[in-house]
Amino acid sequence: MDADSARLLAAGISMGVGSIGPALGLGMLISKALESIARQPEVSGDIRVNMFIGIGVTEAVALYAFVVALILIFVA
Amino acid sequence: MKRGRLFVILALVLLGVVVLFLLPGGESAEFDVVEEFATHPLIHLPSIGPVDLSVNKAVVYLWITFGVVCVLAFFINRGVKPVPGRFQFAMETLYELARDSIVGSVMKSGRETWFPYVAGVFFFVLISNLVGLVPLPFAEHWSLGFYAATANLYVTLSLALCTFVFTHYAGVRKNGAVAYVRGWAPASAPPVLRQLIWVIHAVSELFRVVSLSVRLFANMLAGHAILAVFFGMALLFQNYAAAALLQGGSVLIYLFELFVAFIQAFIFAILSGVYIGGALDQEH
Repeated sequence: MDADSARLLAAGISMGVGSIGPALGLGMLISKALESIARQPEVSGDIRVNMFIGIGVTEAVALYAFVVALILIFVA
Repeated sequence: MKRGRLFVILALVLLGVVVLFLLPGGESAEFDVVEEFATHPLIHLPSIGPVDLSVNKAVVYLWITFGVVCVLAFFINRGVKPVPGRFQFAMETLYELARDSIVGSVMKSGRETWFPYVAGVFFFVLISNLVGLVPLPFAEHWSLGFYAATANLYVTLSLALCTFVFTHYAGVRKNGAVAYVRGWAPASAPPVLRQLIWVIHAVSELFRVVSLSVRLFANMLAGHAILAVFFGMALLFQNYAAAALLQGGSVLIYLFELFVAFIQAFIFAILSGVYIGGALDQEH
């Protein structure tokens, strides 16, 4: 396998494996937020704001994998 | 409706789909997703040292964002009525979102001082993301294309550096330089552990610039790449039925990108507020 194919394969693996963690994390985060909203509907505004912060931070990890894949395809 | 009529309508729809599938579709054309994001200079200007001052696609979109923000700011205060019209209601909703959910909910101190910056960055990033969803003729060959200024790493890095500079400026001004830097590690920790925690916190402070900029950049870049692929795929298959299906998918992806534009602006602003508020209230 030459360097070019290895590079592209690595880009695919990076994106694929790199989204497992954030996907699991997002699922756990949103499910906990939904449970808390169901327990106490009157603070659902606060919970929703904090849920979006958590979603932004967790999704950023998947985007780091995406940026690594882009670097592998276009820059390396 | 009656069963017989329903069957006839379904048979006609199926026939229409089969005919559309088999008709020879129009022409295919080359399109390269990478070209959408390449920033070729539009007006060449000389460089000062390593900084190239040429006017880019990103620069033109930043000017457009600036123009829209100025026009919006001019019209926000005109004709304010006790019973709001639609525009006033929309602007008041955004203002209350910035004041209550962003600054009010994450910054304990320094709300009045830092509200202009945090709300300003929210509006700027929001309008820049929304301008990126309007097709404008600044592509290479002057056709209409989608591009967002925030899909460029340099633009988001500049915004994240603003937040970084303001965070440390706020912390140093409130606590004094030495006390602020020493406050990165809690005083109640044992000596060696305290140095370790300080190093980890310092690295995480530097990494915040990267994470803030890359989050916005990669979200906008990925969104626009998906938009380009979906809209291009509708032309790629040279088949009317495939084009119809893909156009439907394109509309759904466009609506999702609209949602992502709002969310990313909100997250950028709220994280800026969290960082600045964290630097201001160091002694929890």
